[in-house]
Amino acid sequence: MTDVICPLCGKPNPPDLDECMYCQAPLKTGGFIAPPESESELSSSPSTSNKPGEAEQKAPEPSASSDLEQSIPDWLKQTEADFLDLSEVKPEEPSPAELSGQFDSLLSPPSTPPSSKENAIDDDWLASLLDEAGVGKPEPPSLQEQAPEEALKEPEPEPGSEMYEEGANLAVEGSTEEEQLSPTQPAEKPDWLKNLEASSTIKLEGDLFSGEPEPIEPAVNEIPEEKAQDQTPLPDWIAKTGSIEPPPSPQEPAESPIAPAELPNWLEALRPTETVSPSAPVEDLSGADIVTAGPLVGLRGVISAHPSAIRPQKPPTYSIKLRVTDEQQARVEMMKELLANEEKPTPLASRPIITSRNIFRLIVAVVLLLPMVWMIISGSQQASTPQPGNIPGVVDFTQQIQKLPSGAPVLMAFDYEAGFSGELNIAVTNVLIQLMNKSAYLTLVATTPTGPALAESLIKNASSSLVGTSGAYSNYADLGYVPGGTMGLLGLAKSPRSILPYSLESDNVWEGAPLNAIASIKDFSAVIVLTNDPDTARIWIEQAGPLLQEAGTPLLMVTSSQAEPLIRPYFEAKPAQVQGLIAGLAGGLAYGRTVGNLQQNGIWDAFSVGVTVSFLIILIGSIAGVVSKMLAASKKEN
Amino acid sequence: MKKILPITNAIIAVISGIFVLLGYFFPGVFGGIQSTLIGWAIILAAFALLLGIFNLAMVHWKKIASSKSGNINSMVLLISLVVTILIVSINGPAGSWSLWVFNSFQVPVEVSLLAVLAVILVYAGARLLAHRPKWNTILFLVTVLVVLLGSAPLFFIGEITPLSIVRGWLTQVPAIAGARGLLIGVALGTVATGLRILIGADRPYGG
Repeated sequence: MTDVICPLCGKPNPPDLDECMYCQAPLKTGGFIAPPESESELSSSPSTSNKPGEAEQKAPEPSASSDLEQSIPDWLKQTEADFLDLSEVKPEEPSPAELSGQFDSLLSPPSTPPSSKENAIDDDWLASLLDEAGVGKPEPPSLQEQAPEEALKEPEPEPGSEMYEEGANLAVEGSTEEEQLSPTQPAEKPDWLKNLEASSTIKLEGDLFSGEPEPIEPAVNEIPEEKAQDQTPLPDWIAKTGSIEPPPSPQEPAESPIAPAELPNWLEALRPTETVSPSAPVEDLSGADIVTAGPLVGLRGVISAHPSAIRPQKPPTYSIKLRVTDEQQARVEMMKELLANEEKPTPLASRPIITSRNIFRLIVAVVLLLPMVWMIISGSQQASTPQPGNIPGVVDFTQQIQKLPSGAPVLMAFDYEAGFSGELNIAVTNVLIQLMNKSAYLTLVATTPTGPALAESLIKNASSSLVGTSGAYSNYADLGYVPGGTMGLLGLAKSPRSILPYSLESDNVWEGAPLNAIASIKDFSAVIVLTNDPDTARIWIEQAGPLLQEAGTPLLMVTSSQAEPLIRPYFEAKPAQVQGLIAGLAGGLAYGRTVGNLQQNGIWDAFSVGVTVSFLIILIGSIAGVVSKMLAASKKEN
Repeated sequence: MKKILPITNAIIAVISGIFVLLGYFFPGVFGGIQSTLIGWAIILAAFALLLGIFNLAMVHWKKIASSKSGNINSMVLLISLVVTILIVSINGPAGSWSLWVFNSFQVPVEVSLLAVLAVILVYAGARLLAHRPKWNTILFLVTVLVVLLGSAPLFFIGEITPLSIVRGWLTQVPAIAGARGLLIGVALGTVATGLRILIGADRPYGG
């Protein structure tokens, strides 16, 4: 019984089947007809290869003559030796002596034509040797006339024929019976020869095919099948291609005894041998599962599209509730409580109203204020009033006022805060009285917002204290507030008419006399600045001073005690930038004494008492503090 | 416009500054332009004062509207502002009612503040050495006491002439020296700031 081996899965199939009963692969195109039972048994023996091709390789080789052996070049012998060393069946390989015997039997033809000896180089000589050995030649007489390439073509013994049976028997008997084979029997190629053929030329192989006298389809496919199975199983399309190709005519090579071209090794190496026998591995699907459902049912080795895999399912639901232990919950509560307490304002500890500090403050205030109040109430005049000669600037101020002509325009700047009224009002009132007595035309301006009201108030107070006048003093113009600070002062100095065109009464005072003759600040007869701020005094000196000095207009100042040290250098300078100075309460009293209008009313005594008490408080408090510190330090040491 | 406006501002500021500066050196040529520019600046300053008053009123009005604690002070301020504006607008700035408001509220409040300041300063001077028992503290206290004794005759003692002389020297030499040094520094800084504004390197007006 002959089975057809599936080219895909390698399993035997009955010969009447067109497709493999295991893998449904087509058997007709690439199938392999299994050898007879005896051969398969032999092929399964451990001494032989499982591959049918190798069984044929073990076929008896004709004995070689000594001439031919001598004609083998050294390189071929070396290749043979290397190949034998690297062969997979190295343990089963015969010894070099046996190999040489095999080689001799292979290369020993019954009759060696001299023409073959002449072409004994490379593949040609080998083909000629095979030709001489009559391998694969159904008709020995015509074998000598064929080309050496044709001689290399392995004959295809028909199953059941004598050649086939002998080859099978020889494969079993091994090398011992190789010598008994007749030269007409089909020669079996050794492994090294087949590998040499595969690595050298394909053309030679094709020629061997072409040399087949009766191409039988299974036999034609047998040789490439064997080669393919040596490496990898051939795909179906290659098997089909091999079956479609018509066998070349056996007569053509016989009629063209042209020697094949000698290809160099480098060209042989460049030949794309994979196009003929692809070496890409083919996946073995014999162990794969057969699809039993879906559109790909019956196929093997494909992904199964089972309905259960693509059936829509409801997504699983996961609980989002946080699993918290009691301990973690307690910690969360504690954190919440801490955060809530952070947001709450911490009430400050209420300080007691009566403390030693507050008591000391009260004592200081009472000690400081009570004597002063008592001096003012009693009108004490025990302290000696300051003399004009002892206060610098007072005499000069008085002289400048006295120099003013009657009805002269005088610019007065009320640039002090209302809080300094107690210190400055005495001097300012005396100055206003003097100016009123001279019937000076007072032009009132201010660089502070409270200045105009302060000026109006002082004018009214001074006019009420004038001796011999019944009504209010009206020879003045209150121009109001000059905004802009330094720029306002500069503008007022350069062009007072444009900066302050109207008075507080909304009168255009610049149209009438004497202001109609005023174009700039230097046209005034005198400029008197009343300020408690040294910076304001300095700005007046810097902005208006040059214009006034240019015209010889005196710049007079009434300042507080705190501004006096900074303004005094301008007064003492040569030439003086400030022609008269009244500083503080002492300067006001001195000026009052000069003009004969001394209104002390106990103020100077109150001031004297206040300075004395302040001195004592500071002195006593400092000594007490040092002593307490020393006591505390000594207590610490003890 | 975002690029043009800053450049325009810078050009206006630099040209105005140069004209005002040239007005000091050449008053005959640039005096008129200088006076005009200064007049504009004074108007702007007056408007800024009005804007400040309006802003103050708005801030305290928001405090009252938010009903936070302490809004009673804001309420007093707004009432005082409105009443004063009404009185001065009706009676005039130099009217008797306006002067009464000024003399009855403004002057006493400011004088009282200074009186409290005097008490606090005396108290602080008495506690100073207890808090900072150092040599510079002692020097400061000695200076204060000498100036106090030289400012006025002591009660029942009279004027101490040597202390008056020392007080005069302290106020005219060390104090003035320090103050002048500060003023010179301020002047140099002002000159540098003015030059930076004139060349456009410093633009406090934006841009």
